[in-house]
Amino acid sequence: MLTPEKSVFIAILLCLAGAVITAILRQRKLCGIVAFLITVATAIFIYYASFDVLINGHQKAVTFLSNKSLGFALRVFVDGLSAWFLILAATIAIPSMFFSIKYMEHYEDYNVSNYYPYILMFLAAMYGLLSTTDMMWFFFIFWQMMTISGFFLIRFERKNRANIKASNKFMIMMQIACFVTMLGAAMISGGEASLDNEKLLRYDFDAVQQHIGSLLTEKPTLSAMAFLMFLIGFGIKLGMWPFGKIWLPDAHPAAPSPVSAMLSGVMIKTGVYGIMRYFVWLVPPEKWQLFPSRYWGLIISLLGIITLLTGTAQALRQEQTKRLLAFHSIGQIGYILLGIGAAIALSYYSNPLALTLGAVAIAGALFHTFNHGLFKSLLFLNAGSILYRTNTQDLNKLGGLISIMPLTAITSFIASMSISGVPPLNGFASKWSIYVGAIQGGKFAPYLIPLGFIAIFTSGLTLASFIKFFGASFLSRKSAFVSEKTVKSELNWSMLLPQFLLAALCLFFGIFPYFGLVGIQSALKNSAAGFGNTFGGVNLFEGGALSGVGYNEGSFISPLMVVIALVLFSLLAILIMKLGRSEKRASNQWLCGYVVEDDAARYNAHNFYYQIKQIFKGSRKL
Amino acid sequence: MMIKILSALTNVVIVLAVAPLIEGIMRKITARIQSRQGPPILQPYYDLMKLLIKEDIESGESPSMQRFSAIMAFASALTVVALLPLGFGYGLSSHTDIILTIYLLTFCGVCTLIAGLAAGSTYSLVGISREMMLMIPLEPILAVALIIAATNSGSFKLDAVLNGSIYNSPGIFPISSIIILVIILASFQAYAQRVPFDISEAETEIMDGPLVEYSGPKLALFKYSRMIRLVIYCALFIGLFVPWGSNLMFPFGFLIFWFKVLLLVLLVTVVAATHARYRIDQAINYFAIMLLVSFFALALASIGL
Repeated sequence: MLTPEKSVFIAILLCLAGAVITAILRQRKLCGIVAFLITVATAIFIYYASFDVLINGHQKAVTFLSNKSLGFALRVFVDGLSAWFLILAATIAIPSMFFSIKYMEHYEDYNVSNYYPYILMFLAAMYGLLSTTDMMWFFFIFWQMMTISGFFLIRFERKNRANIKASNKFMIMMQIACFVTMLGAAMISGGEASLDNEKLLRYDFDAVQQHIGSLLTEKPTLSAMAFLMFLIGFGIKLGMWPFGKIWLPDAHPAAPSPVSAMLSGVMIKTGVYGIMRYFVWLVPPEKWQLFPSRYWGLIISLLGIITLLTGTAQALRQEQTKRLLAFHSIGQIGYILLGIGAAIALSYYSNPLALTLGAVAIAGALFHTFNHGLFKSLLFLNAGSILYRTNTQDLNKLGGLISIMPLTAITSFIASMSISGVPPLNGFASKWSIYVGAIQGGKFAPYLIPLGFIAIFTSGLTLASFIKFFGASFLSRKSAFVSEKTVKSELNWSMLLPQFLLAALCLFFGIFPYFGLVGIQSALKNSAAGFGNTFGGVNLFEGGALSGVGYNEGSFISPLMVVIALVLFSLLAILIMKLGRSEKRASNQWLCGYVVEDDAARYNAHNFYYQIKQIFKGSRKL
Repeated sequence: MMIKILSALTNVVIVLAVAPLIEGIMRKITARIQSRQGPPILQPYYDLMKLLIKEDIESGESPSMQRFSAIMAFASALTVVALLPLGFGYGLSSHTDIILTIYLLTFCGVCTLIAGLAAGSTYSLVGISREMMLMIPLEPILAVALIIAATNSGSFKLDAVLNGSIYNSPGIFPISSIIILVIILASFQAYAQRVPFDISEAETEIMDGPLVEYSGPKLALFKYSRMIRLVIYCALFIGLFVPWGSNLMFPFGFLIFWFKVLLLVLLVTVVAATHARYRIDQAINYFAIMLLVSFFALALASIGL
């Protein structure tokens, strides 16, 4: 019988085998197709494993490579939490790899044998990191695999000195993060243990879990230090303030676009996974009272808000497509941290309502993790498409691309609206859940109300930034650069298809958030023993696929109703427009008769939001 | 469910019928304040009908996107109307909560932004940049009011929020609610998009900003949706701060509601007719202060004051 654990292990091995094959193959296109097929094959194993866990519950951990004398064992365990992140990884990897096949043609000067092997290794490392229970050696191995392959992917375009620098920064920061996290593991480990007659090594997650109770009572300072180390280590990975800005905004634009999509969509999410796993699942429910959840909740949600605000404020002044998106990755991570922080803070109160709201918040964080993966990778693919057609990342040079690539524009519009939280798209659905958890949680922890409010405020900044991103590139007046230097044709279908897939998913989870939230509920229910598991016991989100989602008396939304109303009233609008039988006529723009339509009189990305940018001028230093 | 849908549709029909009338009253009063005769009260109806038969000039960069934005502007405004309790029953308000309402209002604004971007004119881009900058503080200020009411009632559902629960603070005196009431009143011209905060349109300066390249039926839809949005913000204000009497028996509650709308519109008109437009930087500084004070009010509310 193929257990989920074996299935994930096979997926990892497949990726590694694929890395070897693509390293040997020379042909550009063949390499791409092989890499894509291997990704699909691994995704099938990953989906099999994950859905098996979500539907039938988790099984026991399985040990693969064990070496007792070195204290070394690859113990793989797929529970609901891992499954949720694994689904995300596979879902983003498939469109990114498909996009790569055609996209990589535009790097004529570079050899793809520096690309496909590393990206498959990168994927293997992420699958591994999300399923191993070893907090030391295999954590180290997978982390290094991810770092090294990421390093080579970021410096793929090595003729550009900035890319080399970005990859070096990435390498250094990831090594620090690795060291800090392992230091944390060393501090918190309490010796060997056994579970169900299986001897566990001292750095195994379950072994640590068995000793955590005594450690929390006997050495509160040491354990607090260890948790701080985890927060810093994973915080560096996921781009938390103040570490995010050091490496993330340089690394994302440097990498080829499909890699940026994977970096932002999946890789930084392994940091989210780490924080969730270590902060919410490490301490068992019966020992939860010993864990200073009150303070960690405050710290994480505060850091989340600072990350959110500083990331988004800095994004507002960016004029390079991928750099703008990278700063928004930092910003959106802030939402996720706020959700996690609120959940931890609320778990302190032994009150059923607090537990429910905590579950709403953490479900929101998990949902936003998934949704951010969808729309951010789509946005990076959009930016890649723009780059492919125009060879520039500079928003000031772009404009009016909708007439050249209308289909890409549609997907980019959906993604931009999603990340800004416009209903009925998926970004709204997950932000809603975080807001509800945080703001209603203010009954117990009052500071969550202002924090939730700042999150609402920041989503306005996000909207502003994406109105600029989408407007300056696809809409607004066509620039001289675009009309002279670009190929006037829509992209190849093989580049459009992955974007349409992601856009469709954004719409689907926006209109039917029920499916996402039900998946999360079963992920929480089927997660490993740990405090997080008790969130699974809460009956969240009544309602249904068609009626919408809500919980108890607190809140209820029905995106489907909004869509139905929008469609009906749009039809009414069309009817009204046709009433007068007015005739269409094409004409020139009205520029008061004395301004000519040239580039000097064009309003470009740099000119947007001057006054607001002045207010947030100080954010550059943060 | 049938009753809810019917009541929502009734609200939509009533708003569609009344919104131009409100505009007409505003124009008449403005004219009188400025010692002019002014157009007939029914003029906005004539304007809309006239625009529908006028030529539809496609002068922007991406006509299809312009068409889409005009349709969405109208549809999104009506969607909000269907989801809000507007005098005649609760509509479909059980299918939405305060957060969805805030974001749907944002969506209405986004349609105008897309309209300006799609037109691609320098004037329209100046306009949408200003409009977006004003939206950044305005939506959160409204959010503060809704959150305070929701915190007091313990629920995000609209029927629990739009019934005066903003004054039911656990403390002795609802300080935070009074502060936010003052702030919303002081910003109401901006929600109504009237002088002194109609900076994004500024006819005399950037020629209607986002709408400069629009004519004929598309312009009719935008004008109509703007009138509807004024009613929406009035309804939200009334629901939040002066809900009394709206729940009375049929003709009374209904009439009281529209009477209150009329009073609020009068206030807006008088302020608009007697003030000059602010510059965008002045407005942004003004709202930055408003936003900070409302944040302070929210902080007070979160500790139960």
